[in-house]
Amino acid sequence: MTTTNTLPLTSAAAVQDTPKATAEPRWVKWTLVGTALTFLTLFLILPLMVVLYGAFEAGMQVWWQAVTEPDALAAIRLTLFVLLIVVPLNAVFGVAIAWAIAKFEFRGKTILISIIDMPFAISPVVVGLIFVILLGSQGWFGPWLAEHDLRIIFAVPGIVIVILFGTLPFVARELIPLMQQQGKEEEEASLTLGASGWKTFWYVTLPNIKWGLIYGVVLCNARAMGEFGAVAIVSGRIRGETNTMPLHIEVLYNEYMFTAAFAVSSLLTGLALVTIVVKSWIEWKDERKKTSSTAR
Amino acid sequence: MSIHIEGVNKRFGDFVAVDNVNLDIKTGELTALLGPSGSGKTTLLRIIAGLEHPDSGVIRFNSEDITGQHVSERGVGFVFQHYALFKHMTVFENVAYGLTVKPKKLRPSKAEIAKKVNKLLELVQLDWTADRYPSQLSGGQRQRIALARALAVEPKVLLLDEPFGALDAKVRAELRRWLRRLHDEIHVTSVFVTHDQEEALEVADRIVVMNKGRIEQDGTPEQVYDNPANPFVYEFLGNVNLFHARVKASGETKFTSASDDTAQQADEQDGLAYVRAHEIEVLTSAEPDALPVTLDLITMVGPTARLEVLNQQDGKLVHIELPKEQFKALNLKSGDAAWIKPKYSQVFLGEGI
Repeated sequence: MTTTNTLPLTSAAAVQDTPKATAEPRWVKWTLVGTALTFLTLFLILPLMVVLYGAFEAGMQVWWQAVTEPDALAAIRLTLFVLLIVVPLNAVFGVAIAWAIAKFEFRGKTILISIIDMPFAISPVVVGLIFVILLGSQGWFGPWLAEHDLRIIFAVPGIVIVILFGTLPFVARELIPLMQQQGKEEEEASLTLGASGWKTFWYVTLPNIKWGLIYGVVLCNARAMGEFGAVAIVSGRIRGETNTMPLHIEVLYNEYMFTAAFAVSSLLTGLALVTIVVKSWIEWKDERKKTSSTAR
Repeated sequence: MSIHIEGVNKRFGDFVAVDNVNLDIKTGELTALLGPSGSGKTTLLRIIAGLEHPDSGVIRFNSEDITGQHVSERGVGFVFQHYALFKHMTVFENVAYGLTVKPKKLRPSKAEIAKKVNKLLELVQLDWTADRYPSQLSGGQRQRIALARALAVEPKVLLLDEPFGALDAKVRAELRRWLRRLHDEIHVTSVFVTHDQEEALEVADRIVVMNKGRIEQDGTPEQVYDNPANPFVYEFLGNVNLFHARVKASGETKFTSASDDTAQQADEQDGLAYVRAHEIEVLTSAEPDALPVTLDLITMVGPTARLEVLNQQDGKLVHIELPKEQFKALNLKSGDAAWIKPKYSQVFLGEGI
């Protein structure tokens, strides 16, 4: 009896005294945490503070004026308009291409996977130039477009096209590994249970890729709002017409209107933060739904 | 619903998965497709389900040709090795799925669905898990839910792909007995794939042994075990030993060794004798026709003694299994000499000599 009583005590004490065999020394842990925090502070939090400080330095009223001035409003409207087209299109495209790659075998699959990354690899300025060469008035399809009275370069369609191109990989990149890892058994189970292909996608595939899709959309959204280089080339920077928010900020900055530039910047940053908050909120709600049903 | 497979072929690139298979499965039968991995058994099952399309051949349910029919219209229940439960749905929603995705006209009311799902959950003895998610269940429980889900749509045919393959030994044994009883209750034509001969022997009404895309033998568990059609089936169903043998015209068999160069008599034929490990008698003294051996390794596995002995004539290894008590009574130890005598054997003439 005595041995069984004392044994747990001694072993518990032993566990506390000696560090776990797999644990790193404390200084390693704190050095890593410290490095990460310092880096985040210097390169993420500090610049954010500077933007906010610059925006509100002259007071709320100046900020409000800067973001409600007609050219700024036009830039905000244009940016949101482009988002409304680009994000849904790239979400659909991303799901389609990830589906094709993960669930089917076909020739040229590996080539397709590397092509998807191209927009990331090519400099945005080059992307802009490519489309100017293709679609500009001196470009390959320029005369044809002029004949049919279509303006793409130096107009809104051009902006939509280059942003669409630049943000094309986000959703697909997010979904390909996820769908590959999930395989197709659940879909097959759904089919054997009599569900059509469409119902299977809606009830089985989509819920399974929900988080990847949302994350991809958030990234795509953030990047689409901030895209600068390619847009700068194809938009022609017509004030109040083809200036997106980043272009508008640059114009203001070049005209030494620093407070206004910071004000619009803070708005752009705010929009990006909103998407991230929305994503976290959905995540949190879903988590709560799951835990409440398991508690029953 | 009977299943008829006529001249079915399937290749994946250069690999021949199913090679001109013909098979009829009777209504209400529980059939096992048994074979090593790569024998084409799973592919054949998936072709029956419609998850894979045959390169050529015809599949019929009763007399109806369903080769071109889409999976979702075949009315088959399919159970996957890794359960394939819908992770984001509760157990209840999983089982109800087949009913809720029916077109509006055919869909039962919510109350009817609930009644049916609860009945099925009772049948698989898991009614208390209705509100849980699959991740909160054990492997055995998940597979029972997967079965309930497949049964919810009242399938004409139930297909199970290595249904117990991912489970541990004890749960597996429990579940296969349970499946056998369930089948006796509901009598739906069922086909299950397994590489475990014990599982096939225990559960199935009928065993189809497959190898390299072809059917090697097709019969009741007893027929397949007692009268293997060829060496492959013999070796696949249990631990066997090979002996060189001479068979006289009278049917009398004599074991020899490979190095035996005594002249073959006119009325004798060379062959290979297959003897199962537990069909060998161990003797402590010489007897006519008994082979002298040396005991090499002795392992006790629960109630069984497993011996590895060396044939003194050609040094070949022979596996023997006998009850532990019986072995103890012999009072033998490693290195001792003994004599062995097959109690029962099957000789395949001219095979591989």
